[in-house]
Amino acid sequence: MTRALYRWLLWLHPPLFRRQFAGEMLWIFDQSADSQGVCALFFDGLISLARQWLLRSGSWKVAAGIAGGLVQVTAGGLGMLLFGHAQAAHIAGVELRGAHIAVLSNPGMPIAMDSLVRLTVWTAGGLMLVVTVVTIWVRNITGRRMRGISRKGAACSNCAR
Amino acid sequence: MSEDLSPFLPLSPATLHILLALAGEDRHGYGIMQEVARQSEGQYKLGPGTLYDNLQKLLNQGLVEEAPRQSASDDPRRRYYRLSGMGRGVLSTEIARLEGVVREARLHLRVPNPRRTT
Repeated sequence: MTRALYRWLLWLHPPLFRRQFAGEMLWIFDQSADSQGVCALFFDGLISLARQWLLRSGSWKVAAGIAGGLVQVTAGGLGMLLFGHAQAAHIAGVELRGAHIAVLSNPGMPIAMDSLVRLTVWTAGGLMLVVTVVTIWVRNITGRRMRGISRKGAACSNCAR
Repeated sequence: MSEDLSPFLPLSPATLHILLALAGEDRHGYGIMQEVARQSEGQYKLGPGTLYDNLQKLLNQGLVEEAPRQSASDDPRRRYYRLSGMGRGVLSTEIARLEGVVREARLHLRVPNPRRTT
């Protein structure tokens, strides 16, 4: 039962990592489940799963893309907050850029609700922009460092064995 | 001509222990885990997830390479790894760096050198 669960946990890893190491990891599970404890191995497997998907597989790009898309969607609301008025949004509402525009252009909306929606849109947009910029910046730095290491590795292929 | 190995340094504890475990002989993953536990007297236990994450990185960087199977009767799931020439160089440089750190620490903490006390 625990072996099947651990196998399933390994199956959830990114395909490249799974093809390369899942067999060996399952073999280690068979060897060390008694000595190391099943709980410790499962905890290690869960950490590994998160690490492989979030840090190694490049799925951060998908997250950054979604965040970027959300920023774009909220751009209409932000623009309206800065330059427009609810009435103007009603006119421009023909080309809907986001669901919130339709909400803001509703003439029957109470003023407090209108302010709350504006504040939410503004805060969410700002946060997503910051997260996207920081993510891209951090990954650029890491990528540059790794490329530098690979170049040095290739240059050192003639090192003594 | 010596290569600049500074981009690899300092090594993380897991990487240092894995390279140290492979310095003596070629080992499979479970063998590396056992050797790391032995070297640290059981104080540092490496899980398979951490081990293979580091091994993947070390293989990509060219510090570790796959070694041929030691006997035909070995379990086919069991793969052996060995230190490359560059890996040995990085490990030596890291050990020299750590020796410097220990020397400084002894100086500042006024801990007697074990060689002089015997």
